[in-house]
Amino acid sequence: MVETKIKNQVIEVTIWATGVLQDAEGRDTANCIAAAAAQEGKHVQAFDNYVDLPDRVNVPVRKYARISSEEIQEKYLYENDHPNIVVLVEPSLIKGYNILRGMPEGGILILNTDRDPEELLKFVPNKELLRAIATVDAKVDEKIVDDFMDIEGASAKTLGRGIGAVLAGAVAKVSGEYTLESLKKVVQNKEGAQKGYDSVKIKQL
Amino acid sequence: MSKPKIPKEKQLPEGLIVDCPKTEQEQMTTGGWRILRSVIDQDECTHCRVCWINCPDAAISVDESGDMKINLKYCKGCGICAATCTVGAISRVPELDFDEVVVYRDLPY
Amino acid sequence: MKGEKKFLAGLAAVAEAAKLADVDVISSFPIRPYTGLMVDLSLKVANGELDAEFVHAEGEHGQLAIVHGASASGARTMTGSSGVGVTYAFETYSPISGGRCPVQMVIADRTLDPPGDFGSEHSDVLCARDQGWIMGWAETPQEALDNTLIYYRLGEDKRVALPQFNCQDGYFVSHIPGDVVVPEQSQVNEFLPPYKLDKPLDPLRPYGHGPQIYSDQGPVLELQRAIVMDKAKEIIPGIMDDFKRIFGRKYDPFIEDYNPNNAEVCLFINGAHAHTARYAIANLKSQGVNLALCKLRFVRPWATDEIAEALSRYKVVGVIETNNSFGVAREAGVFTPEVAATLYDLPENKRPMLISFMAGLGGEAIRLKDFYFMAKKLINTAQRKKLEKPVYWIGFEEDEEDLTF
Repeated sequence: MVETKIKNQVIEVTIWATGVLQDAEGRDTANCIAAAAAQEGKHVQAFDNYVDLPDRVNVPVRKYARISSEEIQEKYLYENDHPNIVVLVEPSLIKGYNILRGMPEGGILILNTDRDPEELLKFVPNKELLRAIATVDAKVDEKIVDDFMDIEGASAKTLGRGIGAVLAGAVAKVSGEYTLESLKKVVQNKEGAQKGYDSVKIKQL
Repeated sequence: MSKPKIPKEKQLPEGLIVDCPKTEQEQMTTGGWRILRSVIDQDECTHCRVCWINCPDAAISVDESGDMKINLKYCKGCGICAATCTVGAISRVPELDFDEVVVYRDLPY
Repeated sequence: MKGEKKFLAGLAAVAEAAKLADVDVISSFPIRPYTGLMVDLSLKVANGELDAEFVHAEGEHGQLAIVHGASASGARTMTGSSGVGVTYAFETYSPISGGRCPVQMVIADRTLDPPGDFGSEHSDVLCARDQGWIMGWAETPQEALDNTLIYYRLGEDKRVALPQFNCQDGYFVSHIPGDVVVPEQSQVNEFLPPYKLDKPLDPLRPYGHGPQIYSDQGPVLELQRAIVMDKAKEIIPGIMDDFKRIFGRKYDPFIEDYNPNNAEVCLFINGAHAHTARYAIANLKSQGVNLALCKLRFVRPWATDEIAEALSRYKVVGVIETNNSFGVAREAGVFTPEVAATLYDLPENKRPMLISFMAGLGGEAIRLKDFYFMAKKLINTAQRKKLEKPVYWIGFEEDEEDLTF
């Protein structure tokens, strides 16, 4: 019998944002997470969900990042079927969609809001899959939605100018997949990354 | 040469000619898009119907008692009703303030 | 290796190559998924990084007509399309190839309608394989960048002067970023000479393009075009050697024969999924199953002798088809009849058995377990020395879950 499990363990990160207004921020978050992990020598991928684009205002869009210590064998897939970490750039999405779909036991949920994690936990019916829920208030002055010039395969011109750095800092603190120093080496908004790392409120489950 | 059978659950209509929905499209409920919910203050409302005409998704209807009612299964929270209300009776409240969940989808579509 | 390391998707890599090659005329029309290329190129033109004429056409037919005229006047051109856009411009392919204008068309594959599916299938470009264009697929973003430069060099060579289809799988290669080394301008200047035409279109010195002919001149014209394709086959190995010398990356000229374990069975594949197939081969090796891979680099010109020689070493060959050709001989896809014709002249004892796998249709990803299933069918056929079935449709076969060898 051929062993059909994929050998390497891939950490899958799914980022949910709303269309048009947060599309660039969501992509930036995925790029920051992947770049920080790549700085430590890991194998990474960071890409958008193909069928969520072209996006309309407020439609939920998903971005993906994958981190692995060995070479990623199945590179050409459409979605993250089993996300270990879910990041919501828009917290209202927790009410309408099964964001923890396919998550293996012991996953993490991080939201961008100024409310407490307790308040939002009641909207998640399958919360037994989580090992921690965290919130971070990622409001920044600079919005990076001013140009749409990195969509659909075109290259991103900047990395970590806005919310992306803050959320990537929060992911570093809660999950430990990469360190804050690696993140600060690659992003532009270094104070944002520090703020995300320090001010994230974690509730262990 | 014979081709494999297509299982019943994967069957598609020939030529992809599909039926139209009769009253609403159950497979694409868009209530989950909402970030700010429009709430109508029924005491202030004068039943002028400006919100009903301007809703781009036809999500406002008039119920039996003559009051304006917003269909929360499809309302996307665009705020056009709040902006066009002639007496300012519609306010926009963050969706996370409400405990009830109207639309919960397993997949986005 | 000289050059800057970046993390780019396939389309962004092609845009970098276009900037290095100093493209003169670009014509665009939006269709997903290749639009990202024009987004990137338009930003480069607006920023001043690339000095080019950027023309927005009214349709794909208009796109090709614009670059036809520009290329005949001596400009290096780039255009592109996907899916039904490629078939919309179909009328222009033969005049451009017969008129010997080396236009480059970047294609990011997409299924043809119906339905409006964005997934990647090779049928959209393979429809045009008889029109006399050079055609090949890229497996990774790095290969997409390198193919752009190689095709310009090959197509603009005076002995060839043929247009090229620079193809990649939509979304898999075009939208998922990977590691890319962007070469330096000095390297590209050494590899790619500027485009010079002997008889460009010029109002002061007019030339005629495509006049009416007598009926007995017809066969001569066709034979000339066939001879040119032969010439392209002759000079491709020299170009690959030059590429290795200047850039340091080695590409096989026509096919990549990947046989690390001396296998008896081989998969014949084209496009992005060859990348996953290599990992499947490594995984199967650790389980004691030996499989080889033969990846196509150029679909046109088809290297009959090289492919026949490479495939004659195997007992069974499995052709993976990510395309469809309804009603074709042997009822598989486009590549099966071509491989069968390639193998026809081999002596009886050296001719392998031929199986087809319809996989990746509609843009579905080919997973590792699909490759294990294909390997199992190939090995079983080699042991039994008899074909069980000539065509398998992955996803619909009943015994796909059982992977005992």
